[in-house]
Amino acid sequence: MNYFIDSLSAAIELIFSFDPDIYQIVFTSVLISITAAIIAASLAIPAGVTMALNQFHGKAFIQHILNTLMAMPTVVIGLLLYGLFSRLGPLGHWGLLYTPTAIIIAEAILIFPIMMNLSITAVNSADPRLVPTLISLGAKPTSLIINVIRTTRLAMLAALVTGFGRAIGEVGAAMMLGGNIEGFTRTMTTAIALETSKGDFELGLALGLLLLIIAFALNFILSWLYSSHD
Amino acid sequence: MTKAYQLTNIKLSYQQRLALDIPSLTIPAGKCVALLGENGAGKSTLLKVLAFLSRPDEGKITLFEQNIKSPLNSAQRQKIGFVDQHPYLLPGTVESNIQLALTLQGLAAKEHEQLIRQALELTKTTHLAQKLSNNLSGGELKRVAIARAIVYQPDILILDEPFSHLDQHHIQLLEELILNIAKQQNKTVIFSSHDRLQGMAISDEIINLVAGLTTASPLLNVFHGTLSKHLFDTGKIKVHSTSSQTKSHHIAIDPREIILSAQPLQSSMRNSFTGRLILIAEEEEYVRLTVDCGENFHVIISPESLNNLNLSLGKTVCLSFKSTAVTVF
Repeated sequence: MNYFIDSLSAAIELIFSFDPDIYQIVFTSVLISITAAIIAASLAIPAGVTMALNQFHGKAFIQHILNTLMAMPTVVIGLLLYGLFSRLGPLGHWGLLYTPTAIIIAEAILIFPIMMNLSITAVNSADPRLVPTLISLGAKPTSLIINVIRTTRLAMLAALVTGFGRAIGEVGAAMMLGGNIEGFTRTMTTAIALETSKGDFELGLALGLLLLIIAFALNFILSWLYSSHD
Repeated sequence: MTKAYQLTNIKLSYQQRLALDIPSLTIPAGKCVALLGENGAGKSTLLKVLAFLSRPDEGKITLFEQNIKSPLNSAQRQKIGFVDQHPYLLPGTVESNIQLALTLQGLAAKEHEQLIRQALELTKTTHLAQKLSNNLSGGELKRVAIARAIVYQPDILILDEPFSHLDQHHIQLLEELILNIAKQQNKTVIFSSHDRLQGMAISDEIINLVAGLTTASPLLNVFHGTLSKHLFDTGKIKVHSTSSQTKSHHIAIDPREIILSAQPLQSSMRNSFTGRLILIAEEEEYVRLTVDCGENFHVIISPESLNNLNLSLGKTVCLSFKSTAVTVF
């Protein structure tokens, strides 16, 4: 028990010592996750809204695929992209392996189905009069999508935050594609895994606490936005 | 006469039930048209078809003599303003809601201010411009929704049950507004109502709708049943008609065609029923009676006739009408 409490107090000290190495890792993690979340959102939200607004053959099949992809293990995405980005892979000449870009791509792919599904749910849960009203007022397909997103923006923001939360907590693909290179591709999750295995439990715990703080802050902001909207 | 709409052989099914079946319907331009019918008659469905928010399964619709096959283009959409029975305003102010309509219609930003001001003045909602949409009362909401629908100056305004759930003050305001748009602005206004008298009071023309079918007859004395060999059986009474349309399941009898008497009449009229007077209602210029003859018949007579016949509630009376007074549909 002493070991855990001592480690916890050492971790808190580390956090408040503002060690640049720790905050470099946090910064890398946040930057990669935000970029992945924005890229995924810019594709998944319009795709989700378009799918929700239209009836077409194969819609149920796409929904099944999305549900399946939501449950896809991150190491499988890491494995597939590793095969593509490795030196001998079809995209090996792009030189993306062990770069933040590779992690961003993996995380964007990982969170795309989550964000798309949440966007579909957001539209389906919106007031059923919204779409007929916009059409009767003259909305064309593009302006219809834009105004539906605008009206359901809080739910869309929740999709973005959920995607970001999933990306920042991801470890499998980040380890395989980033390589955990210090100061370059080392993220909070890969650092926790590495430092703990090396016996530096305090550093792992400090990063874990920071990860929890980020998750808490995101949820707090989201709750505040919902309550201020009501 | 310019036709705002011409509908031909329109059929629309909803959940495997035929919700609309209209062989032919013409709505002239520049008129105020009331669409009357009971709840579930298909009024909202027909209005959504006219607003091109629902597409019929079969049939042809022309809009100002133009055949419409695919979704409306911008110019055609700009001809129609639609206000739902329960209008939906987007989050934000009244003004932002009205401006959205102008933006979606692609009208130049420099025109927005003037058009918004005109729409607010016409609907007497200028004082609500900066109010949040979720803080409006029922009557205010309907008038704001009308302001939003007319701000881009459509030729046709479609209103689904505009008077429902409103108090007398707001009903009067809306009636004035509808008349103003129809008469002074010379627009085609189509509105639905289940209140026949109100519909007749402010409209130039009436479309009666029963179970998705249009009928020329007023929507009083409408009975459901089966027709066989010119005899319509409602299950309670049998009514003679001149029609032999065996596929028809409804009849309507114009209350003005029914003769009321204290004793059975010796005449050529094929239909004669005896019943009990169960309601006497005084309208503006006439008296409306309801007589229970197995089915309830509505009869319209003058106040003088009421006095002459010395009628009172519970009294037995006789009804007579010709078989030609029976509309089968």
